[in-house]
Amino acid sequence: MDAIPAIRVVDIRKSFGTLEVLRGVSFDVHRGNVVSMIGASGSGKSTLLRCINRLETPSAGEVYIDGEPMGAVEGRDRPLSEINRMRRDLGMVFQQFNLWPHMTVLGNVIEAPIRVLGMSRKAAAALGEECLARVYLSEKAREYPARLSGGQQQRVAIARALAMRPKAMLFDEPTSSLDPELTDEVLTVMRELAKAGTTMIVVTHEMGFARDVSHRVLFLHNGQIEEEGSPAQVFGNPKSDRCRQFLSKHLQ
Amino acid sequence: MGNWERLVWNQRGVLLQGLMVTVEVCLIAFVLAVLGGLALCLVRMYMRPLKPLAVLLTEFFRATPIFVQLMWVTYVWPEIFGWPNSFFTAGWVALGLQSSGYLAETFRAGIEAVPRGHREAGYSVGMSPVLVFGRIVLPQSLLTVAPSIVNQFTVIVKSSTLVSVITVQDLMFQALKLVNVWYEPIEILTATAGIYIGFIFLVSTAGKMLADMLRQRYGLAAA
Amino acid sequence: MFWEYRLVLLRGLAFNAYVFLAAAAVALSVGLIAALLRINRAWPFRWIGTLHVEVFRNAPDYIMVVWVHFVLPLLLGAAIGRRIEFHPFVSAVIALGFVYSGYFAETFRAGIQSIPLGHIEAGRSCGMSEFLILRRVVLPQVVRRMLPEAINQFVSLFKATTIVSLIAVPDLMYQVSMVIQQEMKPLPLYTSAALTYFAVIYVVAGLVRLLSERWRNRIYA
Ligand SMILES: Nc1ncnc2c1ncn2[C@@H]1O[C@H](COP(=O)(O)OP(=O)(O)OP(=O)(O)O)[C@@H](O)[C@H]1O
Ligand SMILES: [Mg+2]
Repeated sequence: MDAIPAIRVVDIRKSFGTLEVLRGVSFDVHRGNVVSMIGASGSGKSTLLRCINRLETPSAGEVYIDGEPMGAVEGRDRPLSEINRMRRDLGMVFQQFNLWPHMTVLGNVIEAPIRVLGMSRKAAAALGEECLARVYLSEKAREYPARLSGGQQQRVAIARALAMRPKAMLFDEPTSSLDPELTDEVLTVMRELAKAGTTMIVVTHEMGFARDVSHRVLFLHNGQIEEEGSPAQVFGNPKSDRCRQFLSKHLQ
Repeated sequence: MGNWERLVWNQRGVLLQGLMVTVEVCLIAFVLAVLGGLALCLVRMYMRPLKPLAVLLTEFFRATPIFVQLMWVTYVWPEIFGWPNSFFTAGWVALGLQSSGYLAETFRAGIEAVPRGHREAGYSVGMSPVLVFGRIVLPQSLLTVAPSIVNQFTVIVKSSTLVSVITVQDLMFQALKLVNVWYEPIEILTATAGIYIGFIFLVSTAGKMLADMLRQRYGLAAA
Repeated sequence: MFWEYRLVLLRGLAFNAYVFLAAAAVALSVGLIAALLRINRAWPFRWIGTLHVEVFRNAPDYIMVVWVHFVLPLLLGAAIGRRIEFHPFVSAVIALGFVYSGYFAETFRAGIQSIPLGHIEAGRSCGMSEFLILRRVVLPQVVRRMLPEAINQFVSLFKATTIVSLIAVPDLMYQVSMVIQQEMKPLPLYTSAALTYFAVIYVVAGLVRLLSERWRNRIYA
């Protein structure tokens, strides 16, 4: 394993007003690894993910991407423009897809490569087609999102994130708003990404996915990591009672 | 400040008199607009043979500028119909007609929004169609469109400034007359604009509160 | 009668169109700024935006046209210490533009606030700047959402352009009243003027609504 982790999270804390949602979370994600994050609703999983790419500003703590601090540099807060630059390295996939409805599928995928990375339209289109092929949606490139099923929309969202060639991908419950019969097509794509060596943090309620695909599993409770380890450890022999209770509810 | 006192405060009698005329024209026009709009909408929805006429009138009132309609009613109608015989009448007729076109569409939307089941429930307990309309459909639709009705009244007030052009002595008319007497427009026109804006703001705020209150009382969420 | 004067009257109608286009440009840009002020986090901005909207939404067109034409030049002149006058066309455009900016501001605001936050966050997580997100993600959707309401406001604005004849902008109504002063025949002239405006507004607005619905339907399938 290399010395510098792809993502290093150091003592992240976050409060909304008086509500303390994250109470000091630290962990590393190494290059090519998949880390799954599980935990009850309200335990702070989404907030943690959003703090990592700074959709929320943490109250304290720091996130390092390839060793580079995300929030502050030389003791000074990064301006928004620099945070934007760093965000390119983290692809984010949301529970609600969040495709832009006024752009075609391909338009969604190539928007940021053209406008943010400054790629030519032609190069971006080629890249976009390639990303869409990876999620098996080449033939939908010219459709508008409203015409796609939820599973297809979520795969487009994955392609959109991939098109930025990020150093890591963040998934926030990517299958939670899908009908059960549509979750598999999304999970399949994610499995293939993992197999191809993509660095990923996945918040999920799909325990099967977490067990089979991830290198490490984190169990979050009340804004802290209550249990962490290899899938075999966490699922097979959890040390914490809360984790055991949570798993007994979620593993049918 | 001396100017304000001389040109505005000392003229308050005239301006108030103008405001009263404005209110008068607008209220009469509003009554005409509500009755006319209701008639147009009912004819359109429930009297098949006359529907094209109602549609044509509604669209004509809506799509013709108020100033053009005002001129038309004032100078052309007397030639055709021998009426209206005063500028004041011409003023409220024109204002009322235009708004009746808008209100006809508003009422129609309100009536169409009443769920079919409510009507059927009325029939199923033996109510006559007229009774169903008067007791079930109309009250509900009036509640849903109450804010639009209030809004239409403010539109009438705004358009009423134009009746000064045909020498109806409303607030606008008095203000322009004062300007012509003193040749000092700054204070007079600013004050007049302020009065109009304040008056319309008050009407629409009060109307909105009333509409919300009614809708809340009858269990319709305020929009 | 109407036919005899068709060239003069057409030229008048063109003036309605000029005033409309210029005022629409003012209304849209000022309206967008006011909307952005109204949703700003800092309260002084929000307050200015709200004041703008409440003043202009509640102002009658006619008094504003008169005010801008007769009062504003005096105030500006006093400020720069020189006598100035506005061309009637300029007054008309400023007045109508600002009045309708109040309406457009509200439409813009409702449109902007209806865009799900997730669409904006998706942009941020792709590294897009806030301005880029506004331009490429938010505004295009706002335009589509506000289109039906905006078309109604454009229709109102076009109708409002007829009052500019009252400060001697030579529009269709102005030309008509000039001809009536010579010929003393209001019936055919005013009737034709009414029918002309009706036809233009009804046909153009209908066509625009049809096209905009087609365009919108592609996205909100
Ligand atoms: N912007 C916010 N303002 C105030 N409170 C917030 C905000 N975002 C999240 N919270 C609160 O923080 C807590 C953790 O929320 P979070 O969304 O991170 O939980 P989660 O673990 O992702 O839950 P779920 O499984 O339901 O998605 C919740 O109590 C939530 O109400
Ligand atoms: Mg969550």
